[in-house]
Amino acid sequence: MVVGLAMMATGLGAGVFGSLLGLGGGILIVPLLTLGFGLPLRVAVGVSLVSVIVTSSASAAVFLQRHAANLRLGMTLELFTAAGAIGGGILAYALDERQLSALFALLLLYVAISMIRRREPGAAARAGAQGDAASAPPAPLPSTTDATRSARPDIGFAGYVARLSGPDYAIERFRLGIVGSIAAGVVSALFGVGGGIVKVPLMHLVMGVPLRVATATSNLMIGITASASAIIYLLRGGLDPFVSAPIAIGVFLGASAGSRIAHRVDVRVLRVLFTVVLLYTAFQMVQRAIQ
Amino acid sequence: MTDHRRVAPASRAVAPADGLGSGAIESPSIRLDLTIARLLAVGTYISVTLLAIGVVILVAAGRSPLEADIPAFDVARVPADLASLRPEGPLWLGLLVVLAMPSARVAASLIGYLRSGERTMAIVATAILAVVAIGVVVGVALGAGPES
Repeated sequence: MVVGLAMMATGLGAGVFGSLLGLGGGILIVPLLTLGFGLPLRVAVGVSLVSVIVTSSASAAVFLQRHAANLRLGMTLELFTAAGAIGGGILAYALDERQLSALFALLLLYVAISMIRRREPGAAARAGAQGDAASAPPAPLPSTTDATRSARPDIGFAGYVARLSGPDYAIERFRLGIVGSIAAGVVSALFGVGGGIVKVPLMHLVMGVPLRVATATSNLMIGITASASAIIYLLRGGLDPFVSAPIAIGVFLGASAGSRIAHRVDVRVLRVLFTVVLLYTAFQMVQRAIQ
Repeated sequence: MTDHRRVAPASRAVAPADGLGSGAIESPSIRLDLTIARLLAVGTYISVTLLAIGVVILVAAGRSPLEADIPAFDVARVPADLASLRPEGPLWLGLLVVLAMPSARVAASLIGYLRSGERTMAIVATAILAVVAIGVVVGVALGAGPES
């Protein structure tokens, strides 16, 4: 019972932190389960993927209700993230624990550096960072409408891409977006994260999608990306239901609570603390890799 | 003074984001967004409830989540586990609902796009479901991994 409660508390903490910082719980859950509970890395990744899907579904429901996500763009890109996720799921079983730990440490370092370099501490920046979790939903934004879509050319590939754009933004560098989406899928499956750390910057900085739309759309995409690889973990016996359940419940509750208290918390302090935790965890992962 | 203004139904209360004006009829894309939102919300609550039931049974049985072996997934055993109140029943069922939700969302989109005659998006939705199906085939073909 104590272990179950400790796991739920772990999920709760990861959910609150993730929600406040615009990160998915996965980036915290995997190291907490491996370093704290001694689980094999692949099992921790499987557990994390379940939590990622639960929080993605919950937050995507809110984003869609507010018409903040671009469903068409999300569906088009998730075709490629799902393909990447299957590749990542296979790759995860081809690598040994030490290699995975080393790669995870690199991911943690990347996220920590992104946290340090972020300049704007406002809510939009927070929501736009990674967007994996059920973070505070953004205000409604214009999405691609039937009227504007019908006004665009519908000829060939360019016409299709034009129809994915919103009324106040146009999709750019779509082919690069496809390549990046495949990479996001691989990252998600390998490390049990939502992949928003790749998708949001990709959509916003490369493809010209407004930050809030990119965050909401990323949230939507995460579900199918994570489920494509989680199925492989399930069928390969790497999905532990006893651990997944308390963690997923904790993350769900934590993410919901986090989105409600977000406006009362000084995220700048939290970010510094989180960066220190990430760097320490990365160090632990490196140690695990070289042992 | 009592306010006798009527409150608009939930589906109408959401301001259309497509610039059609508050009195406009919901466009197919907005209707689809709302349908999928409802599907995801209901699915999330069902899955979390099933997982919570499983955890309660697990704790009541005095078992630890860190048992030595991960229980093997066997979909045929789920009904029997549910009937005999073994934690594996609701836990596996909850996990299956979790894993199925994103695909159910894509399937709902597919139906929506077919109804509205958006052939290209219907093809995209079908392709996503095909990729997920390939994942299932790959998982079965690779067989059990080292953790099982």
